[in-house]
Amino acid sequence: MTKRRMLEISAISAMGFALALGLAVPAEQVQGHLSKMLFVHVPSIFLAYVAFVVTLVASAAYLITKNLEWDRRAGASGEVGVFFTGLAILLGMVWAKPTWGVWWTWDARLVLTAVMFFVYLGYVALRRAIPDRHLRARRSAVFGVLAIVQIPIVHFSVIWWRTLHQPPSLVRPGDIQMDPPYVSALLFSLFAFTLVYLALVNRRIDLSRIEEDVEDAYLAASTAVAGEAVTVPDLEDVGRDDV
Amino acid sequence: MPPAIPVVEFAGLGVRIGDTPILRGVDLRIEPGEAVGIHGANGSGKTTLLRVAATLLAPTEGRGRVLGADLFGSERFDVRGRIGLIGHTPALYPQLTLEENTAFVASITGRPDHLVTEVLAKVGLAGARHRRVDQCSHGMQRRAEFARVLLTEPDLLLLDEAHAGLDPLASDLVSALARRTTGRGGAVVFVTHDARRAATIVDRAYTTADGHLVPGP
Amino acid sequence: MTTGFWRQALAVTRKEIVAEVRTGEVLLITAPFGAVVLLLVPLAIGTDRPLLARVGPGMYWVVVLIFGIMVALRQSATDGAPQRDLLGLLGIDPAARFAGQAIATTALLLLFEAVLLPVAGALYSPDISGWGWLAMVGLLPMFAVGLGLLGTLAGWLTVSLTTGRSLVPLLVAPLAIPLLLSATQALEGLRLRVSIGGWVVLLLALDLILAVAGVLSARPLEEASR
Repeated sequence: MTKRRMLEISAISAMGFALALGLAVPAEQVQGHLSKMLFVHVPSIFLAYVAFVVTLVASAAYLITKNLEWDRRAGASGEVGVFFTGLAILLGMVWAKPTWGVWWTWDARLVLTAVMFFVYLGYVALRRAIPDRHLRARRSAVFGVLAIVQIPIVHFSVIWWRTLHQPPSLVRPGDIQMDPPYVSALLFSLFAFTLVYLALVNRRIDLSRIEEDVEDAYLAASTAVAGEAVTVPDLEDVGRDDV
Repeated sequence: MPPAIPVVEFAGLGVRIGDTPILRGVDLRIEPGEAVGIHGANGSGKTTLLRVAATLLAPTEGRGRVLGADLFGSERFDVRGRIGLIGHTPALYPQLTLEENTAFVASITGRPDHLVTEVLAKVGLAGARHRRVDQCSHGMQRRAEFARVLLTEPDLLLLDEAHAGLDPLASDLVSALARRTTGRGGAVVFVTHDARRAATIVDRAYTTADGHLVPGP
Repeated sequence: MTTGFWRQALAVTRKEIVAEVRTGEVLLITAPFGAVVLLLVPLAIGTDRPLLARVGPGMYWVVVLIFGIMVALRQSATDGAPQRDLLGLLGIDPAARFAGQAIATTALLLLFEAVLLPVAGALYSPDISGWGWLAMVGLLPMFAVGLGLLGTLAGWLTVSLTTGRSLVPLLVAPLAIPLLLSATQALEGLRLRVSIGGWVVLLLALDLILAVAGVLSARPLEEASR
């Protein structure tokens, strides 16, 4: 069994175990079973941040070393990060509706998460738009670094903006009474999500390599006069006028 | 086969763009089954002449008919489907595959689908037909255009530097296409500045100079 | 309209949809951009809930209108000169080409509207009743058809101009005002419990007029495109 496959199997088993653990802990007093959204919401947003930091580090490493391996990791982590951010927003909305009565609230943290989602969606779109891999690597690395530099600035601007308005009083994840079973379920869930993150990123990197191999094969075939893909034309057949 | 009217019939034809005359007093008659070469330096009006023959550019003076249709009237739109043009830049959709491009032409012109695979195979693109155009070399894109000509079987085939950047096998395809068209009673106009290469294909040659068309390579 | 007309029109539609699937211009670029704008407005005007609920539907339609123009302008639908020559020489009926493009743009606009609708719903919590949402589902295609036709027409008017692409929004946006008013006022009418029939008829009439105008002007516009 390859290391990759082992990682994937552990990720799936850990998720199963985390699910069982989450269901097994007793319901919280104020929010009841709803509070267990914590076990999926918090790891999602945590992994989103991890993913974007990895994108930053890998982007910087690419700019320094010009090694495409770093670019693949930056891109993969960025994509998986967008997935986790989107998941965190969706889960947050599902949690918010019964708790606060609305799908969305203009809380600084929510706004920031949404901004982050769109910034990295832009990162993914930028990558998709550039066919040449070296050009893509360089430009997206610059954006990958710039994006995360912007995050704290966006963060503070949103906080200042928010303090001018009356912040709504909300129940926050931290307000939930964290008994030891809760803490351990959350920690295990974090662990399981991290394994899923690693498995997804590795798969995505594999996929990038395959994409590049396919591109190379195409390129090789189109530079050769009669490569595999392009064969000798049927001149006789073309020249005849009765076919 | 309709009665043998000339495919191209220009008399004293001229084209002005704004106040600038691009072509002046062009006389040209091409009969069915003929292949004609047009040579000349860059900017001498070769491509303009080709676009007039393609009905894409309306002449401003003289008389002109293509496949019997008056170039000054709206009847020129009716013969468009019978004209094939291979221009400088490949007329393909970059996001589509070679096969999708050819199939698009087949649906527009009402040709049966099975022909798509056949014509692609004839130009040697059977193995590359699922490849997107933006991942194809110039030569492959050219071949796809030749496949389009095989599919649409034009009565007037206009080639604008169709040899440029092609490997010898693909160049031979150009000659074969020209033979096929003239063999069917169609006509070919072959624009190039490489008169030597064209000599093997064409029956007659002309040269453009200063907006005029003069016989001889 | 013959079978040939629809075969050609649908071939054009299919080509444009395939190009969109390959590039993701609408779904991955324009739609997120529209969503960001929906997020920006409350940051600028304040997040007072009743206020947002009040402006939400209008904001949605304004964003759909402005960014819908970008959907109509998408790069993958912009034919270059060689492609236009090719289409001409294939003997395609210009009206069929127009119809095919308009159908593709309308379909993509519908997708765009469908993506933005839940975003606007979540961010603004508009005060829309069950009937209002139902009416919305009816209004979306009518709006998409009108904007799709307008955008396609403007695209044809500006083809091969050097300033062409940036000119389109200026041409479309003012002409789309009746679309905007019909869509927003129909919802407003539902809220106030007054008849909305007039607005719906106006929308449908507009769609019809634009469709006829497009089909009739396709040939002269194509001739003026070179």
